[in-house]
Amino acid sequence: MVTVLLLVLGFFAGLLGALTGIGGGVLLTPILALHFGIPIREAIGTSLVAVITTSAASSSVHLQRHTTDIRLGMTLELATSLGAAVMAYLVGYFNRGVLEGLFAAFLLYSSIMILSKGGKVKPEDESSPAVNGDLVIPPYEPKRYPLGLGASLVAGAMSGLLGIGGGPIKVPVMFIFMSVPLMVATATSNFMIGVTAAASAMVYYRRGDILVQIAAPLAVGVFVGSLLGARLAPRIHTRVVMYLLVGVMLYLAAHLTFHLLRGGV
Amino acid sequence: MNQVREPAFDRAVGRVLRVGAFACFFIMVGGLGAGLFLSGHIPADIERVGVLLIIATPVVRVVVACFLFFREKDYRHGWISLGVFLILMMGALFGMGEH
Repeated sequence: MVTVLLLVLGFFAGLLGALTGIGGGVLLTPILALHFGIPIREAIGTSLVAVITTSAASSSVHLQRHTTDIRLGMTLELATSLGAAVMAYLVGYFNRGVLEGLFAAFLLYSSIMILSKGGKVKPEDESSPAVNGDLVIPPYEPKRYPLGLGASLVAGAMSGLLGIGGGPIKVPVMFIFMSVPLMVATATSNFMIGVTAAASAMVYYRRGDILVQIAAPLAVGVFVGSLLGARLAPRIHTRVVMYLLVGVMLYLAAHLTFHLLRGGV
Repeated sequence: MNQVREPAFDRAVGRVLRVGAFACFFIMVGGLGAGLFLSGHIPADIERVGVLLIIATPVVRVVVACFLFFREKDYRHGWISLGVFLILMMGALFGMGEH
């Protein structure tokens, strides 16, 4: 029965992730902790497996469309993977309360950010006409690498700390400061998430913080959900889905805070 | 990319990710299916293989990209990829022996 629930949870997290551009880790970690009674550190480690699955499935699609800048991604991965591995190691010394508090704050911050943008987080299609099925990307040269590397280090540390992808940090930095087209920034960020999450996941796995019997049904559900979500995305009113997601995130933030104040169940 | 588009490079790296994701999916489905008919540690062992495979997929992707960069004589990005690989390996060592 638990396995079926985890399959369904993974499916909806993958579906919402593909429809809104917000990775499944944001939802999976608190739900695993609050509704499945899994300690927050194991919940983070386990949801990292789902994050890698989503990244692998979706970035293979972006690579087919040739919208990923592999060289830029690989360079920034030096910083994301270092930040992720170091922070994942340090998490071993954090207590449950600190992690739950940080996660609740992150959920609240993400909700406010989405609401302040009027429910839009996905890049608009940059009027990219297709030529022979290929997307046309304007010529560009990434700038300000030190800034990009610094932001990537922070994004990687966030990933190692909370089991999330860190896209909301990397995409704006690449787009605004490094002069990378938004479409390329989004695809490249997605591409980097797999390696970043793998750097943290190895630390969590070695520490025994990845519960394989929980991770397996989640990953299967996420895989199917994100493939379906990618197909449905062009046909669905994403803003409605985004508000639904904000509602779920606010509920989880409140529940986590309540759980924290009560000292756990 | 940086101005130059390399479909063959994208295809090779994309193939690694696709094969890894699909293989992991089928192995995990196999593990879940085995759980319906078998007791003991076999289903969990199958699922563990799936989890390890999906964690290894991005690592293999880095190794493949590293190989392709060096083959193209793009030494700068070849060394960068090697650096990423070493950081990933360091991450694996970090968690060792902890519980």
